[in-house]
Amino acid sequence: MQQLLLASATIVVGVFGCVGYFFASNLILDSIFPARGPNAGRNILRAGAVRPWLFLFPAIALLTVYLVYPVFVSILLSFKDGTGDNFVGLDNYTWLLSDDKFRESVVNNLLWLVVVPAASTFFGLIAAALTDRIKWGNFAKSMIFMPMAISFIGASVIWKFIYDYRGEGQSEIGLLNALVEMFGGTAQIWLTIPFWNNFLLMVVLIWIQTGFAMVILSAALRGIPEETIEAAILDGASPFQIFLKIKVPQIWGTIAVVWTTITITVLKVFDIVYAMTNGQWGTQVLGSMMYDWMFRANDTGRGSAIALVIMLMVTPIMIWNIRTTRREMR
Amino acid sequence: MFPRPIQQAPRASRIAYQVALPVALLLWLLPLLGVAMTSVRPASDLAQGNYFGMPSYLAFENYADVFRNSPIAHYILNSFKVTIPTVIGCLVLSCMTGFALAIYKFRSNLLVFFLFVAGNFVPFQILMVPVRDLTLSLGLYNSTLGLALFHIAFQTGFCTLFMRNFIKALPFELIEAARVEGVSEVRIFWFIVLPLMRPAIAALSVLIFTFIWNDYFWATVLTTSAETQPVTAGLNSLNGQWVAAWHLVSAGSIIAALPPVVMFFAMQKHFIAGLTLGAVK
Repeated sequence: MQQLLLASATIVVGVFGCVGYFFASNLILDSIFPARGPNAGRNILRAGAVRPWLFLFPAIALLTVYLVYPVFVSILLSFKDGTGDNFVGLDNYTWLLSDDKFRESVVNNLLWLVVVPAASTFFGLIAAALTDRIKWGNFAKSMIFMPMAISFIGASVIWKFIYDYRGEGQSEIGLLNALVEMFGGTAQIWLTIPFWNNFLLMVVLIWIQTGFAMVILSAALRGIPEETIEAAILDGASPFQIFLKIKVPQIWGTIAVVWTTITITVLKVFDIVYAMTNGQWGTQVLGSMMYDWMFRANDTGRGSAIALVIMLMVTPIMIWNIRTTRREMR
Repeated sequence: MFPRPIQQAPRASRIAYQVALPVALLLWLLPLLGVAMTSVRPASDLAQGNYFGMPSYLAFENYADVFRNSPIAHYILNSFKVTIPTVIGCLVLSCMTGFALAIYKFRSNLLVFFLFVAGNFVPFQILMVPVRDLTLSLGLYNSTLGLALFHIAFQTGFCTLFMRNFIKALPFELIEAARVEGVSEVRIFWFIVLPLMRPAIAALSVLIFTFIWNDYFWATVLTTSAETQPVTAGLNSLNGQWVAAWHLVSAGSIIAALPPVVMFFAMQKHFIAGLTLGAVK
């Protein structure tokens, strides 16, 4: 109870601090450069030059402390040894290149990068197209979308239950094995099957992200001008042709956005692999490998080097995104 | 009438459509249904091997057991203690930054904007060690406040982007008219722009709530004990403890997922509006 009071007190203080800062700083600015008197014009201009920074200052300060500064520290750490005391040059990176687990992670990450965004966007597009035309479409949409509200870790726990294996001679509790046995197959230890277990993990993320893709794409589909579809129907196009040749080309921009957004989520993926296989049996990805080196091996140098590799992989998408934003603003 | 309603399509394809869709939906939800079913299955059923049949009775005591045998109530409280300050903090900060970036034209406007956009893309892994050390030296390690503070900083990029685009779409004449009337900038922000931002604020708060509630990475990096860990981290450690007790694991997962799911259904419109606005723009 006392904790609760303390927590709400901090919130109140924080909010009042922010609002107070906002009013006070603006008032001070207005009294330094009053918008009247002989220099009114010049004062308004000067106040105008300072004012945006008053609004921006708290956020920029926070961002510098928690985002900009750590990125540089991490870059520095990746050139140091495990304890972060001595410079070792490129040692961490040469180690990466020779490490089997790293190679495995990169290959797996690329696999994730190809499969998950493609599958999520594909299923999302289909779901959006199919649910748009039926009465209970909105209900279906919320159901498809629901996994999005569940945490990755929660979803992993749920899917672990699906893939569970009890051992020979025991009846299976895992949903998948029960289904397989019902149809006369033998139960498998799903998560240890080499190579294919990667896909079993990807299913979890696809299951979550499809809802996201569907929501965005269905909004885009509804934004297509009716005349184009009307014209296609008059020209005798089949529903398939309309979908593939009229609708999809018109929402390419949105598809690209959905694709890149999911791509970034995939690059950072960590929870699912960590909770389901912990990177064993050939399922390691960069995100969880980095966590392993940081936390279990306590090696900040190697961990940071892996993190930097992830950063490098994100950078092209980031630049592309900034450039498109800039083009839109012109 | 375009597009053609399903009722006018040929009969065969209509039936296929009407059968296939519910089946696909059922398959999609099978994992959730399975877990929901297991969560109300009494332990005695599991012991007798009744894994998939009807539960012999609805064992809501599983839920009570979860609360009794684990600190999950505390985990949930912690989650709220992290999530609510983060939502409020992000909203306050991003309303201000969004306003500044959308309304004022100044030289480094674009530069600052791109700083926020880039902040959006930074993979969290790269921040892990420095942020942990920073939190340690601030004395906020293993506290909900330290976790919330970092979340605020990390989410501000996305929120700013969101708010800026929203304010940019408002009619600028409103602000010009107010300026001509001699209304001070503070009052323009407070009395003209802020009331118009209500839909954006609603959408963003739902989004941030779910993001933060579902975060696991930072929860394990910045908190270590049951007194401070939010429910995602708690769920994973409980999962380790209850290896064989699937009915408890299931009930626990459902309890942990309930707040964001309820939030999602209650404010679905805002949630989807937020995602669409955040992604497309």
